Amino acid sequence: MSSDNRAEALEVKGLQVAYEQNGRRTTVLNSLDFKLGKGEILVLLGESGSGKSTIAKAVTGMLPPSARIGGGSLRVGAERIPDLGKPGIPWERIRGRGIAMLFQDAQSALNPVMKIKDHFKESLLYHGLASAEGAAAISVAMLERLNFKDVRHILECYPFQLSGGMCQRICLALALCLEPAVLVADEPTSALDTVSQKEVLDLLRKLQREMGLTVLLITHDIAVANAVGNRVIVLNKGVIEEEGETRTVLTRPGSAYTRELLAARNRIARPARGLPPAAGKPVLEIVRLSKTFGGKKRVLRQVDLTLNEREILGILGQSGCGKSTLAKCVAGLERPSEGRILLRGADIGHLKGKARRETSKRIQLVFQDARASLNPGRTALQLVQEPLQYLRIGGKEEREALAAYYLHEVGIADEALTRRPPQLSTGQCQRIAIARALVLRPDILICDEAVSALDMSVQAQILELLQRLQRQFGFSILMISHDIRVLRAFCHHIAVMSNGSFGERKQESGRLHESRQPHTQLLLKCAGDMEDGLV
Amino acid sequence: MKRRLNSKNPASLIIGLVVLAILAIAILGAPLLAPYDPVAQNAAERLEKPSEKHWLGTDRFGRDILSRTLHGGQTTLLSSLLALCAALAIGLLVGMAAGMFHGSALDHILMRIIDVLLAFPFMVFAMVIAGLFGTGLVHLLLAVVSVWWVSFARLTRSVVLHAKNETSYAAAKVLGASNLAIMRKELLPKAISPVLILATFELGTLILSIAALSFLGLGAQPPAPEWGSMLADGRAHFFQAPHILIGPAAFIVATVLAFNLIGEGLRDRLDPYEKLEL
Repeated sequence: MSSDNRAEALEVKGLQVAYEQNGRRTTVLNSLDFKLGKGEILVLLGESGSGKSTIAKAVTGMLPPSARIGGGSLRVGAERIPDLGKPGIPWERIRGRGIAMLFQDAQSALNPVMKIKDHFKESLLYHGLASAEGAAAISVAMLERLNFKDVRHILECYPFQLSGGMCQRICLALALCLEPAVLVADEPTSALDTVSQKEVLDLLRKLQREMGLTVLLITHDIAVANAVGNRVIVLNKGVIEEEGETRTVLTRPGSAYTRELLAARNRIARPARGLPPAAGKPVLEIVRLSKTFGGKKRVLRQVDLTLNEREILGILGQSGCGKSTLAKCVAGLERPSEGRILLRGADIGHLKGKARRETSKRIQLVFQDARASLNPGRTALQLVQEPLQYLRIGGKEEREALAAYYLHEVGIADEALTRRPPQLSTGQCQRIAIARALVLRPDILICDEAVSALDMSVQAQILELLQRLQRQFGFSILMISHDIRVLRAFCHHIAVMSNGSFGERKQESGRLHESRQPHTQLLLKCAGDMEDGLV
Repeated sequence: MKRRLNSKNPASLIIGLVVLAILAIAILGAPLLAPYDPVAQNAAERLEKPSEKHWLGTDRFGRDILSRTLHGGQTTLLSSLLALCAALAIGLLVGMAAGMFHGSALDHILMRIIDVLLAFPFMVFAMVIAGLFGTGLVHLLLAVVSVWWVSFARLTRSVVLHAKNETSYAAAKVLGASNLAIMRKELLPKAISPVLILATFELGTLILSIAALSFLGLGAQPPAPEWGSMLADGRAHFFQAPHILIGPAAFIVATVLAFNLIGEGLRDRLDPYEKLEL
């Protein structure tokens, strides 16, 4: 099948979209054209702000009211829409059967009070594709096709009883029941851990092979593009930078922008080096720590871990393995059920009130969602002073000087000091959050997925920043992530967590592949497969 | 799907504010605007129909109803606002405490008190208070406040519980903020706007309740004018002179409507869920 005689499943021409807010108009897409062949997986690759999600919303008629469509035509199969900007488009005919959608957060895309079987029934009956009994048969067949085991049980479950990866596969099954001409998947795997990510992507490839599924996949992740894409379009600020076969674009990029993206990824993927040795006394010892929620749900089981002075220790694990609970216990946000957390020999696990607040000076936490961790009403300079005010450190001028110093250290420009989070980029917000954590001069900095919400290029910048600050101030870092690349590039040692415990002691990050733990090998294999062929 | 046409439309807010402004000027300016003394009786002009001399007619003692309505508004509005502020303060305090120490004994005790108050018919409760302490405006307000804080406390608590799941709450804790600092800086600002919106809706009901209790004779005592007691007064002469009721009734309706419109307008502007749209 050559690409010429392929019929197009989707064609977009001259798409123009701008957002208007408070009278300000920002153009997001400027006269964009692309085609998607039948049975093809096309990847739209771009960083945040590239307009890739706007494309998905525009072709499904789900743009927010602030969007202004300047023009553009759409063709899905036999359906033609000459002007997307005009009202009265028969979206109910197009959505579902013409274009089906897969969202990033599958769990919240499903109705929490409806069983899985009712989701199938609702959508099949609505589109008049089956009777109530027929719907049951179709849903069983579809779930089996999507590699589900124990289908009967799953159909009786509610969405919150299933993992994120399973919910995403159920959304996929729901979409495919309607036999759509095109499946639009907007970051379908970014919220998933490496193993579930690979499952979903493998499934997409399999369905493409077996059913001729056509997919428009939107992602910021080069590895995802590499793993599934036939063709890739690199998008930058609403303009197509490059378009071509995935292999060609990712190995011999034609545009400077694509080269930059790949370089940023390589900076992260490069194994750790230039780290000062992590020799030192233990600063944090976790001894047989267990955490049980509500008397029955055991999240942590007898965890042992030692963090040395000046060490960067990575904790790798899939979502739900308990790594964030561990971080919360160490940071004093959760109380351990059993076991001890020793900070320089003193147990901090059961402190209360003022004594607990004092440990804030020694242990600090940086969150995944930096923007949500910052009060939107305060300026950068005020935000960094918060911990000093809370703990009554220094006078007014001293606080301000300290805040300014640390903001300077994390690379916030002087003119940004008086800006508030809504006016700052996500990367800048994370820098401010880091400055706010460091202003207390902690011994330990916990980074809970601190870079996973960031674009590749920003990720590299923040990791380099953390490395420099760690060298300069000499604190230890507990780096929690699901991303094996980030940890390998950044940490002295890595400990792999699964199901609430560490299967083995921490390993040197360069020698992780020597681990005999099957779980570690699985994580390494999934990450390796996705990167396969990338330089 | 039905479009929410009024979602960003400020019309209801503007209309509400304009009506309220007119009412406020009329009521506050009563000493200057009212044509007669609100308590001056005139036996020769009893139960007169509206005329050029008395725009809204006179009551059974020959008092000018327009003058009484304008003056009475001061009592009604002032006492409802006072009661509302007190209820708001108590509700915010209780709700914050219950939410902050969710699951503790304090939370349980406060919530059970709230349940009891919610289960008890408010009017009966007010009558019990009046029975215990005697009638009068102050006792009426006491009765109203002691029940009215409940809805504010419930709302505040649920907002606080929601905010405690947010990253900013965890961040403040990690940064070493004390419970008091967290309540003041993180939780209170989040609770204020939904509680204020609820307050505008509640104010309308509050005015009606105070009027209703005054109508029953529990509130302001004669001859002081008050909308509720004026209605009660006119009741006896309803078939002879229905116009007696028009003045206070119209003012009550207009005031309640104005506050409801303002509440609706504010909700559309401040509702955090509206902001989820880009």
